Amino acid sequence: MSDEASCIARAQRSDTRAFETLYRLHVDRVYGLCLRMTGNVSEAEDCTQEAFIQAWKTLNKFRGDSAFSTWLHRIAVNAVLGRMRKSRREQDRVKVVAEIAPAPVSIGDSGNLRDLSDAVDRLPEGARHVFVLHAVYGYSHEEAGNMLGIAAGTSKAQLHRARRLLAQQLTTEGFQA
Amino acid sequence: MNEQHDRPDAGDDDLVAAAGRLTTAISPERDLWPGIEREIAGRQRSRWTPLLAQAAGVVLLVGASSGITYLSIKDQQAPVQQVATELLFERAAFGSNYALGTDYREAHGDLAARLDDELERLSPEARADVETNLALIRAAIADISKALANEPDNALLQQLLLKTYRDELALMQNIGALTQHVMSRQDI
Repeated sequence: MSDEASCIARAQRSDTRAFETLYRLHVDRVYGLCLRMTGNVSEAEDCTQEAFIQAWKTLNKFRGDSAFSTWLHRIAVNAVLGRMRKSRREQDRVKVVAEIAPAPVSIGDSGNLRDLSDAVDRLPEGARHVFVLHAVYGYSHEEAGNMLGIAAGTSKAQLHRARRLLAQQLTTEGFQA
Repeated sequence: MNEQHDRPDAGDDDLVAAAGRLTTAISPERDLWPGIEREIAGRQRSRWTPLLAQAAGVVLLVGASSGITYLSIKDQQAPVQQVATELLFERAAFGSNYALGTDYREAHGDLAARLDDELERLSPEARADVETNLALIRAAIADISKALANEPDNALLQQLLLKTYRDELALMQNIGALTQHVMSRQDI
């Protein structure tokens, strides 16, 4: 049994130390996903915490049918979507504030990739979510659609829209992949 | 997760290729674990609550069911002694530090010893019903006792356990109206 599998088994028996180990193993990618999807540090932190709390609550339902990281990502996407649905007004307020004084989000990309990263942040929500899940995190359209509650065809359409919008933004900035 | 991206227009898709090079693992600026730990530790502490609700549900269910059982079997039996509606316990306490009073244990042992004989006199259906109810009550007692081991001073759990013990005795008494024991309980 791998270290991760052992930790999962122990955490399923309510071992919080084992769950902390799982948290340490996965938090960066879960937080990264939340940050890419929300474009907001505070929201991403809250969603990450919600995701791990939800994971703890439903850990006994994890049967290993998918990778643990995929299972966690699905929960994180749900946390992001749920939070956005609940606080749409708050999101709008945050967006307005961000437009007035864009807060730099240090994501670790450099050069042209930072331009791309910033452009992704400016995408409309639906297009951004699909682009992040599919293009950045490598999920198929079926997987991304499943996580987002949309059809695979819709995911493809959103990706097409995202690429078009990104191309428009980045052409004016002289982006070279 | 697919390792290969599903890209319908890969020919002109430098953007998607570049996106695949974006950082996916980003460390939060602060440690998020303490907030998570507080929340899940709180949930662990309150895990007896659903247990308690379940046990209380079992007690209610068994109470109603054993009443029906008693009504259905009383006509099959020889006249039986009227059962005390309210059993009283001697000083008894529960949880890891306590034990039930001596009189209770004697009465329980006495009833349990006669139970098999009494069950033999019942119809198979009534016997199955009684045995199911007893098993439910005893499972509830075990669950509540487990919760009490974590929270020995929880008055609600103590009361529920006392009621469950009382229901067990009442059910056993109803089967044959066997007991002559009347115990007095002051407090937990």
